[in-house]
Amino acid sequence: MSIECIKDGGRLTVLFSGDIDEYACRTLRGEIDGSIDASAPSEVIFDLKKVSFVDSTGLGLILGRYKKLSRTGGVLRLKDVPPAVDRVLRAAGVYTVVEKVK
Amino acid sequence: MMTENHMKMQIPAYGKNESFARNAVAGFAVECGPTVSELSDIRTAVSEAVTNAVVHAYDEERAENLIEIAADIDSDNTLTVSVRDFGRGIADVAAALEPFFTTKPDEERSGMGFTVIETFMDEMKVDSAPGKGTTVVMRKRIGGNARS
Repeated sequence: MSIECIKDGGRLTVLFSGDIDEYACRTLRGEIDGSIDASAPSEVIFDLKKVSFVDSTGLGLILGRYKKLSRTGGVLRLKDVPPAVDRVLRAAGVYTVVEKVK
Repeated sequence: MMTENHMKMQIPAYGKNESFARNAVAGFAVECGPTVSELSDIRTAVSEAVTNAVVHAYDEERAENLIEIAADIDSDNTLTVSVRDFGRGIADVAAALEPFFTTKPDEERSGMGFTVIETFMDEMKVDSAPGKGTTVVMRKRIGGNARS
């Protein structure tokens, strides 16, 4: 798993590549929060098109960032969610709080 | 006609083994001729059970803290996977199965692991007691669901 953070005005795009599991989340959380703290974005996009796997720890990662951004009025959106990832996020109820965009 | 098959392995409860464990079981299940979705469901369910063992069963990542994974394919193309640990166990299994239940909210645990397993497999059974470890047994008939 690796991520690339791209800042564009008030928007921060996080491009994920690989598997989002518990082991990956141990380092991802700090990397993403560091990037959010450094750029104070009003919108964060998680681009998931290169994600090959996610489980419920990915849900924890997404909801944790959603809460963090909500405290400063920022929003989180999920972009280009692959079908296999979509099935898990849907089953775990992510879309009740975080918006999915094309 | 399907020939029955069996596998069993032991791995230390290391975070880095989560990926190995789910992919090993998925590789074993390929023999059943699963769809892409079914294979993804199996991988996800196994990952949830193994992650639970890594995160909750033991205090430390040590070589002697083991997870035992067994899988069986029976003659009607049903895959049964058991994920067993020898760690602390669960005092209240019924509570642990509730959606969003977690003992570690400060670590951003979603509490959705067992719910995800129940969603993606046909059956799940959790056998646990304090100090006796936990065994999660899950079953899925491959090619048996019209669900996409």
